[in-house]
Amino acid sequence: MTETNTTEPWLDSSQKPYIQIENVTKKFGDFTAIDNLSLDIYKNEFFSLLGPSGCGKTTLLRMLAGFERFTEGRVLVDGEDISEIPPHLRPINMMFQSYALFPHLTVEKNIAFGLKQDKLPDNIINQRVEEMLQLVELTDFAKRKPGQLSGGQSQRVALARSLAKQPKLLLLDEPLGALDKRLREQTQFELMDIQEKLEVTFVIVTHDQEEAMTVSSRIGVMDSGKLIQVATPTQIYEAPINREVADFIGDVNIFKGIYKGQDAKGTQLLSEDSKSIIYATQKVDVPVGNRIWFALRPEKLEITRKLPEVDCNILKGKIEDIGYGGSFSTYHVKLENGRQLTAIRANRERTAEHHLTWGDEVYLHWSPDSAVVLLS
Amino acid sequence: MTRFSKFNVSAIILGFTFLYLPIILLILFSFNESRLVTVWAGFSTKWYVELMQNQGIKDAAWVTIKIAFISSSVATFLGTIAGLVMTRFGKFRGRTLFSGMIYAPMVMPEVIVGLSTLLTFITLAIDRGVLTVTLAHITFSMCYVSVIIQSRMTSYDDSITEAALDLGCTPFRTFLLITLPIILPAVISGWLLSFTMSLDDLVIASFTSGPGSTTLPMKIYSMVRLGVTPEINAVSTILVGLVTVGVITASLIGKRQKQQLAQN
Amino acid sequence: MANQAKKSLFKRTFNGRNAAISIPYLWLLLLFLFPFVIVLKISLAQPIIAIPPYTPLFSWGDSLWPKIQAGLDSYLFLFSDSLYIKAYLSSIKIATISTVLTLIIGYAIAYSIARAPTRWRGILLMLVILPFWTSFLIRVYAWIGILKTEGLLNLALMTLGIIEKPLIIMNTDLAVYIGIVYSYLPFMILPLYANLEKMDMNLLEAAADLGCRPFKTFWTVTIPLSLPGILAGCFLVFIPVIGEFVIPDLLGGTKTLMIGKVLWGEFFYNRDWPVASAVAIIMLLLLVVPIILYQKSQEKAIS
Repeated sequence: MTETNTTEPWLDSSQKPYIQIENVTKKFGDFTAIDNLSLDIYKNEFFSLLGPSGCGKTTLLRMLAGFERFTEGRVLVDGEDISEIPPHLRPINMMFQSYALFPHLTVEKNIAFGLKQDKLPDNIINQRVEEMLQLVELTDFAKRKPGQLSGGQSQRVALARSLAKQPKLLLLDEPLGALDKRLREQTQFELMDIQEKLEVTFVIVTHDQEEAMTVSSRIGVMDSGKLIQVATPTQIYEAPINREVADFIGDVNIFKGIYKGQDAKGTQLLSEDSKSIIYATQKVDVPVGNRIWFALRPEKLEITRKLPEVDCNILKGKIEDIGYGGSFSTYHVKLENGRQLTAIRANRERTAEHHLTWGDEVYLHWSPDSAVVLLS
Repeated sequence: MTRFSKFNVSAIILGFTFLYLPIILLILFSFNESRLVTVWAGFSTKWYVELMQNQGIKDAAWVTIKIAFISSSVATFLGTIAGLVMTRFGKFRGRTLFSGMIYAPMVMPEVIVGLSTLLTFITLAIDRGVLTVTLAHITFSMCYVSVIIQSRMTSYDDSITEAALDLGCTPFRTFLLITLPIILPAVISGWLLSFTMSLDDLVIASFTSGPGSTTLPMKIYSMVRLGVTPEINAVSTILVGLVTVGVITASLIGKRQKQQLAQN
Repeated sequence: MANQAKKSLFKRTFNGRNAAISIPYLWLLLLFLFPFVIVLKISLAQPIIAIPPYTPLFSWGDSLWPKIQAGLDSYLFLFSDSLYIKAYLSSIKIATISTVLTLIIGYAIAYSIARAPTRWRGILLMLVILPFWTSFLIRVYAWIGILKTEGLLNLALMTLGIIEKPLIIMNTDLAVYIGIVYSYLPFMILPLYANLEKMDMNLLEAAADLGCRPFKTFWTVTIPLSLPGILAGCFLVFIPVIGEFVIPDLLGGTKTLMIGKVLWGEFFYNRDWPVASAVAIIMLLLLVVPIILYQKSQEKAIS
């Protein structure tokens, strides 16, 4: 009897997805916003839809909420086809980017609003409102009106209101966008705690990749109405599926070149920049002579003054620019052919022993298993 | 920054003098002892006393208030719906015509509106009276209400409506519980505007009224054709006074509401 | 395919929408649009001594088919008598001049309010609107007492020694212009002000910074930017003034020809409903283009 995988349900074939988006297309006139998109989301996931503006992520979210109709396709929630159900009858709630608090109702009444629509008895409503207020730590603010709240407080009321009905699915549209950086980081962890505690499935739309990486169980990277890659944050970062995803998340160095085959050290790439062979451990199965790419994250690129004692993947260059970031430093290194690479190094020493400065001649190298091979 | 120059000041002073002088003179001479409206003969309130005994005017005033009240209430109802339809319902068949019918009455010459509406009542064999005047007033008032509501809705946050739907509220209940309370100030000013326009209308009422439904403007007009008398000044002063009190009260309430919201 | 069949559930839920659209729509169709059809129909009829005083379009005799009585007599009559053509032209002339006058005066006032210190603007605006809320009829009436030959204006001017003989203003075109400008001023000021208030003062400062003198700035920057407000105000004055009745009736003379007065006269005094209807139809045709332009400009402004 295989154990059910509860932390990574998408890997477990015995588990049925909680939300099944099947071949959904959305057209606005001639413009295709969502193009034949399919996605499975599992119960209790914290799923992020990530992508540049106009990629369709917000449209997809609104379609799940019921505010946009599908041109084609359907969506099943817990086995039930909700495609034709209007928004006020769906077991889904949404937290809006603008919070959309009812200005003429108190915080209490805002939170109770959804429960009142279900015609629940008053004592249950009051109890649930109490619970929600405690959850977002706004018990003292119950009788205030939205006009009297700060941005962060409004956000928490919006969250409490959307969770009050214990929905099967909670949609969040850029929930932290309006908060300042410190508050945002704090709230990210609070959101994760709440999600775990209440065991609600979250789908969040964001354009902030750091946020998506921090909170998500899985990320769906979108562009032009299509899903490019759906994977855990680690996989997205360390094993992007193509140059677009690699470039979208964080910084990356992309090496272009011709595939020259495999040998003992790994996959050979004849780099256009260094005109030499560089290696990656990851195997590929394409004809020799094809164009392929290596993606290398800056923190995996080692920067030294002395020639490193390794047998491959050594490049020579000159430091063009240094960005001091407190805990780490970013180095822009110009190779002989003019190409610039980015290397990041943690500032482990307080006084820099390996002090590098502008104009220094340096060596860059990386270990073959740090690079990812991309075929597109 | 922006210069509030001598030109600006004089423009405002002259402008407001132009606007208010006739009204002030009107009020002044309603208290004139003599019948002449150009020679001051001493302070007297006798014209107001005569006014109180003028049954014709009192009947006309009562008819006018009735019509104004009913027509503005129905017009506010219809106009609010029309305004929401125009701003929130997107495209629908016949929208261009609908839009045309909303804006055209606001500029259409009153003689055309009056004539066409009357002829329609005759064709439909509806007897002329309070009902027909009311129906005609509702028709043009609702367009003004619609425009006011449309203007309000341009700054209305749609996501509030979506949030209500999302939380399980049917579209109709959303309108009643959420939208309407929020746009209430605009709805009320629509009602006030309709009330004033109905109170004030002469041309359309003349075409569409019947025996026993003479409105106050119609009565005043017939008196004016006979010549300028202080009695008319007196009626006018009362009307001006009522309207002034109403407008000042409304703007004070509006100011207090704004202050309350700002404090919170 | 499954979507189509399930759409009925969606339609059922959203059918309040159709009701919401229909109610005001039907009302306006019946009481605003349909009346124009009626006016057209009656303009094609003949005046007779009867109730109602015109010939019916369809009359049933012995035969199955109705006899249709329609004719362009009324229209021919309008074109034959130069009075009517003169009245239309005179109305256009008066409306145009009044609009221009109202624009100049209204712009000066609106501009000045827009540049006044912020805390005064609200009160100033309210003072502009206040006369608008008082009766139109009363305000026009007020001018009678002032403009009469024995009126207050002449009294004041003669007492101050500026003139010796009283000015004849009452019952002339001049009185009508004064009356129109006075009554329609708020209609011009409000859209102008709404537009001027939103104007970005930075643009004027940028122009000054680039060396543009105040007067030139006004013509090349301020005026073009306030064009939407100017257009809205002009439509709100020009179109209704064409058919204005009360002001020319009370302040104008027998020589003041305005088509609104003509229509009223045909209807109430001559009891010639077909001709009155024909006058209305032609007025409508004249105004159709401006009305559509107005509607389009408003839709653009709101969207």
